[in-house]
Amino acid sequence: MYDFAYLKPASLSDAANQLASPDSKLLAGGMSLIPSLKLRLNRYATLVDLGALADLKGIRREGDALVIGAMTPHAEVAASDEVLTVLPALASLAEGIGDPLVRNRGTLGGSIANADPAADYPAAVVGLGASVITNRRTITADDFFKGVFETALQPDEIITAVRFPIPKRAAYAKYRQPASRFALVGVFAVQSANGVRVAVTGAAPSVFRLAAAEAALIKRFAVAALDGITLDTEGLNSDIHASAEYRAHAVVEMTKRAVAAALK
Amino acid sequence: MSISATSHKIGEPVRRREDQRLLTGKGRFSDDVNLPNQVYAAMLRSPHPHARIRAIDSGKALAMPGVIAVFSGSDFIADGMQPIPYNQFTLHPAEMQLPNSDGTPAFTAPCYSIAIDKARYAGEIIAIVIAKTVNLAKDGAEAIEVDYEVLPAVTGTIAAADSKAPRLWDDARSNVCVDADVGAKDATAAAFARAAHVATLTTWIQRVTGVPMEPRAAVGEYDAATQRYTLHAGSGGAVRLKKDLALIFDTPVEKVRVRMDDVGGNFGTRGMIYPEFALVLWAARRVGLPVKWTCDRSEAFLSDFQGRDLAVTAELALDKEGTFLAMRGSNIGNAGGHTGSYTPLQKGVEIMSSLYRMPCANFRARAVVSNTTPTRPYRSSGRPEVMFVMERLIDIAAREFGFDRIELRRRNLLKSSELPYTNPFGMLYDSGDYHAAMDSALKLGDWAGFAGRRADTKVRGKLRGIGAANYVDTATGAPRERAEITVHPDGNVDLVLGIISNGQGHETSFAQLVHEWLGVPLDSVRLITGDTDIVSVGGGTHSGRGMRMGSVVIWNSANEIIAKGKRIAARLMECDPSVIRFADGRFAIENDGQAKSIFEIAAAAEQLKDLPDDLRGPLAAFSDESFNEASFPYGCHVCEVEIDPTLGTLEIIKYSAVDDVGRAVNPMIIHGQVHGGIVQGVGQALMEQCYYDPASGQPLTGSFMDYAMPRADNFPFFDTEISEVPCTTHPLGMRPAGEGGTTPALGVVINAVVDALAEYGVTHIEMPATPERIWRAIHGKSN
Amino acid sequence: MPTVAMTVNGKSVAGNVEGRTLLVQFLREHLQLTGTHVGCDTSQCGCCTIHLNGKGVKSCAVLALACEGADVVTIEGLATGGTADVKLHPMQEAFREHHGLQCGFCTPGMIMSAVDMVKRKGHDLDEKAIRKQLEGNICRCTGYHNIVLAVQAGAAAMKGN
Repeated sequence: MYDFAYLKPASLSDAANQLASPDSKLLAGGMSLIPSLKLRLNRYATLVDLGALADLKGIRREGDALVIGAMTPHAEVAASDEVLTVLPALASLAEGIGDPLVRNRGTLGGSIANADPAADYPAAVVGLGASVITNRRTITADDFFKGVFETALQPDEIITAVRFPIPKRAAYAKYRQPASRFALVGVFAVQSANGVRVAVTGAAPSVFRLAAAEAALIKRFAVAALDGITLDTEGLNSDIHASAEYRAHAVVEMTKRAVAAALK
Repeated sequence: MSISATSHKIGEPVRRREDQRLLTGKGRFSDDVNLPNQVYAAMLRSPHPHARIRAIDSGKALAMPGVIAVFSGSDFIADGMQPIPYNQFTLHPAEMQLPNSDGTPAFTAPCYSIAIDKARYAGEIIAIVIAKTVNLAKDGAEAIEVDYEVLPAVTGTIAAADSKAPRLWDDARSNVCVDADVGAKDATAAAFARAAHVATLTTWIQRVTGVPMEPRAAVGEYDAATQRYTLHAGSGGAVRLKKDLALIFDTPVEKVRVRMDDVGGNFGTRGMIYPEFALVLWAARRVGLPVKWTCDRSEAFLSDFQGRDLAVTAELALDKEGTFLAMRGSNIGNAGGHTGSYTPLQKGVEIMSSLYRMPCANFRARAVVSNTTPTRPYRSSGRPEVMFVMERLIDIAAREFGFDRIELRRRNLLKSSELPYTNPFGMLYDSGDYHAAMDSALKLGDWAGFAGRRADTKVRGKLRGIGAANYVDTATGAPRERAEITVHPDGNVDLVLGIISNGQGHETSFAQLVHEWLGVPLDSVRLITGDTDIVSVGGGTHSGRGMRMGSVVIWNSANEIIAKGKRIAARLMECDPSVIRFADGRFAIENDGQAKSIFEIAAAAEQLKDLPDDLRGPLAAFSDESFNEASFPYGCHVCEVEIDPTLGTLEIIKYSAVDDVGRAVNPMIIHGQVHGGIVQGVGQALMEQCYYDPASGQPLTGSFMDYAMPRADNFPFFDTEISEVPCTTHPLGMRPAGEGGTTPALGVVINAVVDALAEYGVTHIEMPATPERIWRAIHGKSN
Repeated sequence: MPTVAMTVNGKSVAGNVEGRTLLVQFLREHLQLTGTHVGCDTSQCGCCTIHLNGKGVKSCAVLALACEGADVVTIEGLATGGTADVKLHPMQEAFREHHGLQCGFCTPGMIMSAVDMVKRKGHDLDEKAIRKQLEGNICRCTGYHNIVLAVQAGAAAMKGN
């Protein structure tokens, strides 16, 4: 690891100011950032730790949405009565991230800001059509993820919370990569008053919506509606863990499983 | 196992004595060692699988803060440092040797601890940086500028054997270092000519790595006044490491000391000396300070010796009833970037026929070098590969020619009455009851009830398969071992042995032997193994040699102590030695109330002035023996799997194992060895592989993010059973127990997977049998 | 160099560290608490598991400076009593009784993770739940069989504590 200055601001505005200096990086739970620093894949002059900002933590109901603070650890989302009651799919997704020890420390904001192509949360954010709230603006899910480890965030922008609309039904089906246990393919399927959304993580450089499945499911939200749907391998990831061909098949299969689970 | 053993004798599941410190964080592993004023080393490793080193510029690195020194291969040579003294073959007298067919010697090239002219694999050490902290050393390593001439690389085993492949050594005729032809060529050809059936298999037992959980670490110190080197580093054995280091430093062995305490796993990976061990000592001498190096896991994936990697083509000839007539084929082992070890090739091909009656056989055995991390024996070196081949061939033959899989095995499995039996490669199997082991395993795995379970699975839309695999192991290893036992008057007993525990529980199982034979309390026994200033002889922990050899030298030493003790007791109690009986730690006069404890005798030995010379001094004895016979543990495993055909995902439903250990000293530890062995074997069968990009030669599995390690949720509980048919070539009847869990696991898992897929016409699947491979097999897609 | 102060195994400790000093380095190198191990660099193996403010975390992925004022418990803080009369924690005792360790390197992390598991999931844990919850801890020796038995027994035994 290269050395860096460590700052732990007491307010969001301090954090934003500190982040504005060159080569600064936000530290949330650190579950991806610190290993990447250890492997010397990244180098920063300053790490700005959001750990002291209690306002960024917590889960609350706001009308027809759940608002989850960016610094809320996965374990809290997984165990939250509120989430388990109104959005159990999100609790179950959180319960499947990494492992229990990672879930105790890793955060929602950190996960989506990192935008790992195989992370779980991006599927929920896009699948639910969530809004990412920052210290400056609100970004819609469809505009947020831009590519491999790439988001719409400005260098000095801080995610404060994510607003998840409560759907009629939803489920996340994850196929774990055997080594890292990240998503080889993860599918978040949602039926809500606004229609149907199906978001796929792990299969491509960035989370994406499965238009063919959405079109089929909007007519009838049932597993059988997905029969015959196939996915072009173009643009899908292919690596030692799975070929693009297998991922394409797994996306369809995991979509069926997500829909089946959502209907339970 | 819920009831704690109250007896500590042989055969009891005694809870481990080493656990107290390991459970409370008081273990002392290599990275826990810190010496005053120590500085830190970082290794600059080649990013290229194959490259000539034109120049190394360490100027910028030396200018970095905290950097003390940078050394490279030219410094190493200038200091007169010698190559690593690898034994490419096991020279144990019971092993079959692999002479080249054309009479030339096997190709070997000197392997230095640091690259001299060329890097032959990605990860080979190019330079070593010494700095005040680990991070500063790593910073320094990044600042070194190396001018590489990148060369074409070859990583694949069969590709490397091609005469047109990029060549690792300019002075070699090709990358093929060993090319032997073993067995009876003409007789085998004749048997194939008259065979009714021939089953064939072409397969690659893939490259994996051992992954002991403790990453390697080493602290080197050099005392200029005495010109003595001390290495603190965990390994499979201390004495061999000391001798190897003495040769590298071209110094007398007494100038080298090796120290280690707890060692976090071995599995063969830690069996032989590593370059870094010599480098920290050399650097310590050069900078005049102790030098510490700790391997990162990502570094371990590049630099830990890897294992397996055998390409095989094999054929099995049968008559029309299914009797085996002969087998033949070709094995190519991949030694990696240096000619360090051809042992797995050798130890495999000599038991290709397993424990089946095989009139004749003929194999070509080749070893190649390639631009990959060097390979070494890995848990059950060479045998899981060939057992996999044999057990697959039997299932293939059964399915193709209409035999029942079990009946085909039973027909050809050697009977007890046929033992000892010399296999077609000249290996002499001593004793055992192979049929009983198989029958027990089939019962344990409820083979008879499988059809019903398969039907239930089918209802749920899934596929169920079952497989069985027999195995035999050849345990040899470094032949010489020594025990020294000293009984102290204060109630302690020292046991000095050249065998290092890497997790096998020696402090308990060896103490059980001493407790039983000398009648001393279990906790009185102090096992001393990890200091070459005390331990003078010993081969370390590998090839099932620990308990097999340790027990005999301990037994001999204990008997000598008893004999001496009787004579001392006779002096003390004024009687003839012949009337003294020794039991439960007491020397008693027969039919008389008088008795002395062994510790009283130890006190007398040190105090009595009028004892004969051979009895005076500490009550001690040693035994130093060479073991020139091989041991052949055997057994049978049964595995049942369920597959979800939609994605090819697999679950192991049931795994049953019967392993014969001759005589179990601590069954709790043996069951544990079997459990761990099974998981290492199943890991290879289903998920593990060191991937190299075929185009660039770059290793692709550099961390646990990409190298799939078996985890708790991949397995059910296992049903393991210990069989105890005494080994006739071991004085105490023992067979090794550490490798049997792994040896048949590859074959039994794949047999079960193929059985589950049989309805799709699948006849074989390569390892690792990943969900994608299974899915492709189901859909008839190329794999 | 910045300083950090925290409570480790009930004792107040402080030290000068770099920004990049990891909690596990602080524990091992500054406090000589070498029972917490480092088995990987990608936060997968779990050998470095400790309890941070009552929760199981991987100390190789936490900065020491982030733990200012925190309460840390390591494997060394689990047993009670002095050196002469150590009383093992029920989970430690269960690992011993069920032979849940071989080389012992993953063991401290396994045990800290198991105790955290009981805190989160309760005392009555079935095999499947334990195996799932052990996802963040890798062992290469035991095949997990006896670890699962040990966790199950240890969880039950912790009821009385």
